[in-house]
Amino acid sequence: MKQVLEGSHAVSEAVRLARAKVISAYPITPQTHIVEALSEYCADGSMDARFICVESEHSAMASCIGASSAGVRTFTASSSHGLALMHELLHWASGARLPIVMAEVNRALGPGWNIWMDQSDSLSQRDTGWIQLYCETGQEVLDTTLQAYRLAETVNLPVMVVLDAFFLSHTYEPVDIPDQKSVDTFLPSFVPRISLDQQEPNAIGQMAPPAYYMEMRHSIQMAMQAVLPHFIDVEREFNNVFGRTYGPVTPYACDDAEYIFVMAGTSASTCRQAIKTLRDQGHKVGVLKLKMFRPFPYQYIRKNLEKAKKVIVLDRNCSFGAGGIFAQEIRSAMYACKAHPQIFSYISGLGGRDITVDHFFEMLDRTEKSGYPENESVWIGLNP
Amino acid sequence: MNQSIQTESPNNVSLLISQSRTNTLGNKTGTWRFVRPKYQEKTAPCSNACPLGIDIATVEMFASRKDYQSAFHKLLMENPFPAICGRVCFHPCESACNRQFLDQSVGIHYIERFLGDWGLTSKQSHISYPKLNGAKLGIVGAGPAGLATAYFARCLGYQCDIFEKSDQPGGLLTMGIPSYRLPDQTLQNELQRLNIDGIQFKYKQSISVDQLDAMKQSYDAFFLCCGDAQSISLNISGDAYAIDGLNLLRQIRIHEAPSLEGTIAVIGGGNTAIDVARSLLRMGAHPIIVYRRTRKEMPAHPHEIDAALDEGIALKECLSPIEIQKEADHLQMRLQVMKPGEKTKNGRQTYIPDDNPSETMPINHVVSAIGTEMEIMWQNDQWDLSMSHCRMKNIADIPVFWCGDLTTSEKTVTHALASGKQAVIAFDVLKNKGFDEIHSVCHQCQIGEGPAISFEIYRQGERKQRDNSEIVNFDRINTAYFPSIPALQVNKLSQNDCLNTFDEVVSGFDELQMSEEASRCFNCGICNDCDTCRIFCPEMAIQWDQNSRHILMDYCKGCGICIAECPRDAMNLEVEP
Repeated sequence: MKQVLEGSHAVSEAVRLARAKVISAYPITPQTHIVEALSEYCADGSMDARFICVESEHSAMASCIGASSAGVRTFTASSSHGLALMHELLHWASGARLPIVMAEVNRALGPGWNIWMDQSDSLSQRDTGWIQLYCETGQEVLDTTLQAYRLAETVNLPVMVVLDAFFLSHTYEPVDIPDQKSVDTFLPSFVPRISLDQQEPNAIGQMAPPAYYMEMRHSIQMAMQAVLPHFIDVEREFNNVFGRTYGPVTPYACDDAEYIFVMAGTSASTCRQAIKTLRDQGHKVGVLKLKMFRPFPYQYIRKNLEKAKKVIVLDRNCSFGAGGIFAQEIRSAMYACKAHPQIFSYISGLGGRDITVDHFFEMLDRTEKSGYPENESVWIGLNP
Repeated sequence: MNQSIQTESPNNVSLLISQSRTNTLGNKTGTWRFVRPKYQEKTAPCSNACPLGIDIATVEMFASRKDYQSAFHKLLMENPFPAICGRVCFHPCESACNRQFLDQSVGIHYIERFLGDWGLTSKQSHISYPKLNGAKLGIVGAGPAGLATAYFARCLGYQCDIFEKSDQPGGLLTMGIPSYRLPDQTLQNELQRLNIDGIQFKYKQSISVDQLDAMKQSYDAFFLCCGDAQSISLNISGDAYAIDGLNLLRQIRIHEAPSLEGTIAVIGGGNTAIDVARSLLRMGAHPIIVYRRTRKEMPAHPHEIDAALDEGIALKECLSPIEIQKEADHLQMRLQVMKPGEKTKNGRQTYIPDDNPSETMPINHVVSAIGTEMEIMWQNDQWDLSMSHCRMKNIADIPVFWCGDLTTSEKTVTHALASGKQAVIAFDVLKNKGFDEIHSVCHQCQIGEGPAISFEIYRQGERKQRDNSEIVNFDRINTAYFPSIPALQVNKLSQNDCLNTFDEVVSGFDELQMSEEASRCFNCGICNDCDTCRIFCPEMAIQWDQNSRHILMDYCKGCGICIAECPRDAMNLEVEP
């Protein structure tokens, strides 16, 4: 049934349909609407779950870790400073191999104080061992959240479903909300591979001295390497039930493209608009939208980009002293190709600043005219 | 440590985490310890202040649980007459109560009164005295000190004969305390506690010093508990017109008081003066208290003075009678105006005659209540043993103890009872262990700073396990556990209702009030099984079994959290031996 839904509520609906049992969160703009709706569902009985109010995001994740260790499906949501405060426990969640799902609304970090769209918060958590899936539309948010539980519970790694602040979290779009029965078919109840058990007492997460620790870390990496094929399986099954699929990356007009834009999130929509105009003007351009960032889908990226002459990576983030984070990842992925395209890095749209069609024209223009990429990222849309 | 590798999975995804199926019993955290906690009960400041050293913190604990039997018997271990003391004691316990520093002191005397009354009506209040041990004591005087001596001695198996010069027991309780403070029925019921085999009252028998020698064949010791029976005279011109205050109170009690009307001057500032004035008010007269110093120096207890003034009794300060003259239909009392003089070495303000001319006061009657003194024959200053509440001298080879008002510094009912207790313990030590042991044994039974001593400790009761010399002050109470709750108030007769009745002025607590008020008690220094130590122990090293807690030293790491959390300082941290 299609409903006009805010992006935040697309998450809430998915979590309700996923029958999460424990939700623990601390409010922070622009994430608040997600857990606000969920707390109402818990209160009015439309969800059979325990909502744990906590005093910080650190405790929210701690609660999820506890609940997930006990073997139930859990959920939290955060953003920006809240996510940063969770940092320590993000490592714990993945190290303990707990299939927690979190909605992460991309927001800038202060100061200056800023509540708007920026990818710095989620990308700062790149190395915590969480699967990261970036979304573009309300429908994708809902679908990805449902897929996230299947994926997390298959590989025993936590999943972060990432959506842009306001552009997605607070934008109303028509969203097809699946019925509970279909969701239950796709996402049966959670059977944990490991959990605390009163009948068979055990302690988890205690000391692992040098003789043990390294293998555990290797196990996380092996699980990460298994994510991509399992994600393909999950998507296939999702497609069977709901008739929708996204892929770890989504190419558009890439087959014959000499110039390919790469980005994650809602700016991909704007980029497609620009590509229509540019194609009409005779430019051979395409766009590759990144959905999966961790694990990084190397094969898919190489396959889609290796024939291009130049790749234009748009980052709504900056690793200060280096440059756009997606661009660095793309460069390192493409380095393994025999004849790899040149990678041009652009930074734009930080702290919620709009990225318009004209900005894409500008990026293409600069890229066409440059013989070789500059060392550092080029900033687009700075005030004069 | 037991690492568990779980790689079997339907989807072959690697899963390796640290997981242990052993328990923490193998981790003997006790080896980390260099200090160790210990359950160590101590003395509450109320017990330290109580002349009888009653274990008030424990009494309140039982009372809060409505375990009246345990509470009552705990009281009886140190005090033969809780229903009396709950009414007439001036409760120094409440002045010392730690709770006053949080909100208000616990109403300890109301709780004692409730429990005492419970004991008078309940069948479960029966006391079993031991068999007689063959020794026999002679007690002179059936007042509080004599009664206490008989009670504690009987508890140790001694047979007692009490010689009383009047025809009834009670002494000052009967003769000196008006029934609006101590109802007759309560008094009579309490005295029944001594109506047992082994205690014999011999009424209308005055004993003199000379008789003791003749009686020594029949007794192993004598206890002189005859009190300060002699009223002090005004010693002024016309003092024959003054009525003796104590005698008046006795007459009122036995309904033989003369009819007194009009304005009556009551001379004195002690409790007897207050009792006389308040009694006269109830008889329809207009009493005026005349005192030679100011209210601040009055030896009467402040709340008794307040009660008198609240009832409308006038107080004239800094006036000392110098002459009483008989006029046609009234008396003319001439009074010297007094003024502050130098302070004594103890800091007490003295008052000296002012140069101003004297005042005269027309009155219908005058009552003298300026104090009492002991009869000359009991005066003595050569002692074989001198203690805080009693003294002893061997007369004709048997020990004779001076007790009660004859020796105590403060002349109150509770001090008199304490005196009896001390004398009995001293005699028992003398008899069984010898004279030289008296001081050290009494010291071992001391509560707090003393001089109160505990009969329970003397009889090797549970209380002996405590560190009785250590007093728990307010700064050692963990107030995080005690929200502020004001003390419960009791009902009192209004000023008008007091006028024509000797009914008890102050009402007691009902059952609910009593347990609520007892629950306000911090139970300073004693374990009331709140279980906080066990709940907070991070190593779960405190175990509860067979109705007691014990610390598993294999696991106690000496962190001290149990001690920090104990709301009432019932635990100590000690350096490892």
